[in-house]
Amino acid sequence: MEQILANGVYLGSQYAMIALGLTLIFALMNVLNFAHGQMYVIGGFVTYTFYGQWGVPFVLALVMSCVTLAILGALIEKFLFAPVIKGSAREESTMLLAAGIAFFLDALILLVFGEKQRGVPKIVDGVFNYDFRLIMPYDRILICALAILSIVAFIGLMQYTKTGRALRALAQDRTAAQLMGVNVDRYSMIGFALGAMLAGLVGGLLVTITGVNLGMGGPTSIKAFMMVMIGGAGVISGAIWGGIILGFMEAIGLAVLSQYGDITYLLIFISLMIFLAIRPQGLMGKPWG
Amino acid sequence: MFGFSAKQLIGVAIFLFAIFVGVPLIIGVTGRWDFYFTLTSVALLAIASAGVWLTFYIGRINIGQGAFALIGAYVSAILVVKAGWSFWLSLPAAGVFAALVAVLIGLPILRLRGVYFAMITLVLTQVVTLTALALPITNGAKGISSIPLPSGVSLFGIPLIPDFGAMENTKLAFYYTACILMIVTYAALYRLVNSRLGHLCRSMQQNEELASSIGVNIAHIRIVIFAISSFFGGIGGAMFGSIAQSVYPSSFQVADSVNFMLNCFLGGLGYVFGPMLGTLVLYFGWDLLFELGKYQMLVYSIILIAVIRFLPNGLLSLRFGKGGDK
Amino acid sequence: MSALLQVRNVTKKYGGLTANNDISFDVAENEILSVIGPNGAGKSTLFKMISSFTPTTSGEILYRGERISNLKPHIVARKGIVRTFQETTIFKSMTVRESVVVAQHLRAKASLAGYFWGSKTAKEDVAAFGRYADELLEFLGMSGISNELASNLPQGNLRALGIAIGLATDPKVLLLDEPFAGMNHDETMRMVDLVRSVRDERGVTVMLVEHDMPAVMNISDRIVVLNFGEKIAQGTPSEIQNNEKVIEAYLGSADDEIGM
Repeated sequence: MEQILANGVYLGSQYAMIALGLTLIFALMNVLNFAHGQMYVIGGFVTYTFYGQWGVPFVLALVMSCVTLAILGALIEKFLFAPVIKGSAREESTMLLAAGIAFFLDALILLVFGEKQRGVPKIVDGVFNYDFRLIMPYDRILICALAILSIVAFIGLMQYTKTGRALRALAQDRTAAQLMGVNVDRYSMIGFALGAMLAGLVGGLLVTITGVNLGMGGPTSIKAFMMVMIGGAGVISGAIWGGIILGFMEAIGLAVLSQYGDITYLLIFISLMIFLAIRPQGLMGKPWG
Repeated sequence: MFGFSAKQLIGVAIFLFAIFVGVPLIIGVTGRWDFYFTLTSVALLAIASAGVWLTFYIGRINIGQGAFALIGAYVSAILVVKAGWSFWLSLPAAGVFAALVAVLIGLPILRLRGVYFAMITLVLTQVVTLTALALPITNGAKGISSIPLPSGVSLFGIPLIPDFGAMENTKLAFYYTACILMIVTYAALYRLVNSRLGHLCRSMQQNEELASSIGVNIAHIRIVIFAISSFFGGIGGAMFGSIAQSVYPSSFQVADSVNFMLNCFLGGLGYVFGPMLGTLVLYFGWDLLFELGKYQMLVYSIILIAVIRFLPNGLLSLRFGKGGDK
Repeated sequence: MSALLQVRNVTKKYGGLTANNDISFDVAENEILSVIGPNGAGKSTLFKMISSFTPTTSGEILYRGERISNLKPHIVARKGIVRTFQETTIFKSMTVRESVVVAQHLRAKASLAGYFWGSKTAKEDVAAFGRYADELLEFLGMSGISNELASNLPQGNLRALGIAIGLATDPKVLLLDEPFAGMNHDETMRMVDLVRSVRDERGVTVMLVEHDMPAVMNISDRIVVLNFGEKIAQGTPSEIQNNEKVIEAYLGSADDEIGM
């Protein structure tokens, strides 16, 4: 039981960070970022390259992941999403663009980093063992702590800084934010960069535990979508709840259902469908339609 | 006839002539027999894409067609291999089964709109792939292979469909079969869109509240349309499995669902034949880029992004201009 | 006076908020009845309940003695109680005529399959819909714009289009949601005449929610006044104009009205 709880917290904290980035981009620009999983994978590969290949300190490698993804996110927003949003009659165009970008990033990862599974040396050795009821390697505990710290920092940023306030205003009502003097174009870019950066940060954190490979992008995006639907799209608290809930469901599923094969996700999906039938806006989302 | 104008009839005649006579002639002359497989795939993927297009016609972005294609492929394979059915019976059965699954899943999820429906259908694709890996009847990752070729069908001793297993060249037979299926699908789609059901769909696409205020039973129509759409997916998938003579959990996955959606959007959502064109261009484009080896995906995605960036309303919008319809 | 539509002790609560509290009134056949009240008085909620776009918390609404509350909107529409919306709710990429044609689908005699195969009944339906659409648009003075895309129409015409779509369903009761909002005096007067002719010439009972007091006083046979979710008065225009409670309600919330 303790083990399941601990695994749930660990998974949930990682997932929440992925969902936060996705939901931030969605809230700001109404864009469903299909490429989110690929951004996560790139973050993993950057940390792998700096920390695993070149021996740069882990924290610096993490920073490099963040910077790379922030720049990539900003460029994608400025040169692709912003013009397409302005020029297209249909808002669905952004979804296509996001899908195209996901393909593109996949191709890029394949060319630059190859298709092999990559891992890095452990950042800390040793295993925490409480009476064999709770076993957790120290590196997982550290990564989990770092993830929770990042989430707290992100919430702090959104709540107490000028940038955060501007982003929240933008998420709430684009036109009103513009009238209030928020530079909409600039903050859209900053928000997208921030969302991409979060994906990169999780990628960098998790590469120390699960490693990274090309094929992780798509499934990561899918998990992020599920979390966002559970919590409610475009709501920060929703993303965190969605992450925690999916993390726990997965932890419980793996522990309880493992002998029945891989049907955890089928069951999670069925529960999600039933849940959404009752509450289409998710846990924290505002009712719509 | 069927409300076609003379000009349209000529167009249809040219199209039919091209695919049934023109293509085999050109392939015979050039000796590019591999084009049969490419074009057969295009026809089958276009059937599944037609379903996605139809779901869009009620205002839902469907990124779950890969799931229904996979379901169709498995149902047909299981019926043929394990129950000894004729393929020609398993084909409609696959479509119907996919439609039934669509009804069950559609009841809760069709209430979702926009991005939410898109997300959940995408998740559905992944879940069906995972389920195919986990279930005993689908044989896990090993999938179902060496599916026998379609057998012959005869009625009162008159052969209607020849036995594919006894043929020297199944490529042409599969090509014709796929083309006929595609033409029937698009003819049905065209009629549906231009009939009362189509008009009601259009009213729902544009405003569900207003549609229900004029007495349209939107919940009912949504389910019917989603079922028809998934029927197309199931048929396309089943036929694909029969040609490949195998089905794996990876036969249709998330990327395929996304591609079905891209086919529709790039062909143009305002036009019934848009998804057919989109499938042809995307699939052929992908095939032509094969020469580029490891740069294939990179160039393909860059072209894709460029098209979306500069032609946001689809390829057919080039010809018809903005705001065109049908 | 026979009651066509009866609102019986209807209450609507959203969470802790009471939007409508114990509202009762009747609508007689062939009358024009307006529901007025300051912003937030619960007029729109009441409309949504009558058209079953939202369920009641308690109480019921009867049409010819038959309950129509807490059903589905399309079922209520099929019984002949049809609402219109404010101008943004239209079929954007249909022409005026197409919108009016599609709104007639309830009268279709042929089945959906009949339409698919192009049966004789279906063809007759299509022809009849077209004829009726032309007739209706002429009646509403919209023949000139029948081939315009709805999204290209100016505001005033959108309101008329909404009414045309509602009328095309051949309703017994038409619920109009702020038909005069945003119109100048001349436009309002034309719309008043139009609504009156809908009642007089087509025998449609009209119920409307409106802010424009002069227009309401001009057009209504009777008026129901809501304030803070409660019914505070009902009666003829002259009775309402002299009602203490009504005057007080409107003076007390004069600030709200500026916002409209």
